[in-house]
Amino acid sequence: MFNLFLAVSPEIFIINATFILLIHGVVFSTSKKDDYPPLVSNVGWLGLLSVITLLLLAAGAPLLTIAHLFRNNLFRRDNSTYFCQILPLLSTAGTISMCFDSFEQERFDASESIVLIPLPTRSMLLMIPAHDSIAMYLAIEPQSLCFYVIAASKRKSEFSTEAGSKYLILGAFPSGILLFGCDMIYGSTGATHFDQLAKILTGYEITGARSSGIFMGILSIAVGSLFKITAVPLYMWAPDIYEGSPTPVTAFLSIAPKISISANMSRVSIVGSYGGTLQQIFFFCSIASMILGALAAMAQTKVKRPLAHSSIGHVGYIRTGFSCGTIEGIQSLLIGIFIYASMTIDAFAIVPALRQTRVKYIADLGALAKTNPISAMTFSITMFSYAGIPPLAGFCSKFYLFFAALGCGAYFLAPVGVVTSVIGRWAAGRLPFYYIRLAKRMFFDRPRTWILYEPMDRDKSLLLAMTSSFITSSFPYPSPLFDLTHQMALSSYL
Amino acid sequence: MDPIKYFTFSMIISILGIRGILLNRRNIPIMSMPIESMLLAVNSNFLVFSVSLDDMMGQLFALLVLTVAAAESAIGSAIFVNTFRVRGTIAVESINCIQG
Repeated sequence: MFNLFLAVSPEIFIINATFILLIHGVVFSTSKKDDYPPLVSNVGWLGLLSVITLLLLAAGAPLLTIAHLFRNNLFRRDNSTYFCQILPLLSTAGTISMCFDSFEQERFDASESIVLIPLPTRSMLLMIPAHDSIAMYLAIEPQSLCFYVIAASKRKSEFSTEAGSKYLILGAFPSGILLFGCDMIYGSTGATHFDQLAKILTGYEITGARSSGIFMGILSIAVGSLFKITAVPLYMWAPDIYEGSPTPVTAFLSIAPKISISANMSRVSIVGSYGGTLQQIFFFCSIASMILGALAAMAQTKVKRPLAHSSIGHVGYIRTGFSCGTIEGIQSLLIGIFIYASMTIDAFAIVPALRQTRVKYIADLGALAKTNPISAMTFSITMFSYAGIPPLAGFCSKFYLFFAALGCGAYFLAPVGVVTSVIGRWAAGRLPFYYIRLAKRMFFDRPRTWILYEPMDRDKSLLLAMTSSFITSSFPYPSPLFDLTHQMALSSYL
Repeated sequence: MDPIKYFTFSMIISILGIRGILLNRRNIPIMSMPIESMLLAVNSNFLVFSVSLDDMMGQLFALLVLTVAAAESAIGSAIFVNTFRVRGTIAVESINCIQG
């Protein structure tokens, strides 16, 4: 019996830590004796510490040996969830360490908003091994609720509150659709656990008996999940939300739900409904996302919006790996997600660091190479990695994704992917596309007024060093990543 | 025949909720009502299926969904109140600061 608590000890720890942090922040920042100290940095560092402790707990938890106890319950822990849980924790730790500088700059003194970062982390930890519709919904929904609040966390800014209300509407609607899907599946099959669903849906496409209830259910779950990772036909206000939220929150929103909901979706589609997977829908969404990501960011003048569009496009590439149901597909999905997480942390760490007043427009980046050459080089490494230029990790992940897509017979998707990634990369002034255009602006433009930037703080520079070295070293030496993801993909099929 | 009647009823409420979210022209806090209506329809659907399938999981799920829906509507109200405090108006057209 005590083993059950030991198995979910990371989640128990983070729930307790979050509440203790919240109480600590509120009690001490309203105490008159200490003269109402603003406890943002304090709670922030404690939050970072608790996430790192959580990482150690999740990495060392002795739960793989007792996984057989959970076979009929809500969670299933195996190798793939083990590694898949470490990635959002690393991203969360990176995001919290990005926050500190922006809190100082904007004199942000609400310590409660830091608490809203470990709280969806616990939901992510519960979502990744979830093997039951109830567990899936109960993990997706509080995660989204925390995101709505944190997107609106700058209370006096119109942009932030608008982003928060748009995110609420954009997020509550697919939660309803997701729940409707769970409902239809429950009504048609009487099963909520994915193992039971796997047994029921085994011969789904082979026999002629297609139940429309099950089909509606799977379709609705797929559509709801695609909404939540901002796939293309269903991405209504996502660039607005990413632009309006405060920058570390945007970083968190671009990385964390994509990882956890992609992992959850792959678990649902592969374990739960392998016979009735809607492969065409995922293919269509991937193609549309790739095309949008290449084209729509062309005419942008601000900095955060093309980052949002490029993250939507890149998640489209990643979803091609998921759309083919093979083991290489899942492996390429996981590789893509690892590399995407590090690239996004990189990109979002540079953007708020370059601030004199605020970097909002791309033209502000002009002649960055002359004033801050290392920042310029790091930023262009990140952008080239997004574009898929060969000696960097982005090329590695895209190559493997298209390889997996060709391996499963998606002969239309791979050329489309290659063409869109070339369009995003095609430079030399004929039609300047945004990745290379950013680099061109940084290195070759001479702005009308030179903008001097403050030096970057220590936390962000450490984060940038780690992620950019991962990006550059991933191409010559990708085998640890490949081995890890192969093990994860294999164990998610067992 | 029996569960289908109740299921149709819940589906109609759910579709009205979807319609309400997509076609809202009045003001912003009204947006939380169709969201709640969607969740309510799905909830009653769960109860109907639970009775017709003679299974407890549906009722359990309905209880949990009820809790989450309550939390979501509280958060929605908080965000909308804050939006009003910043802007001074609750018209839907005023949410247009972020362009593009």
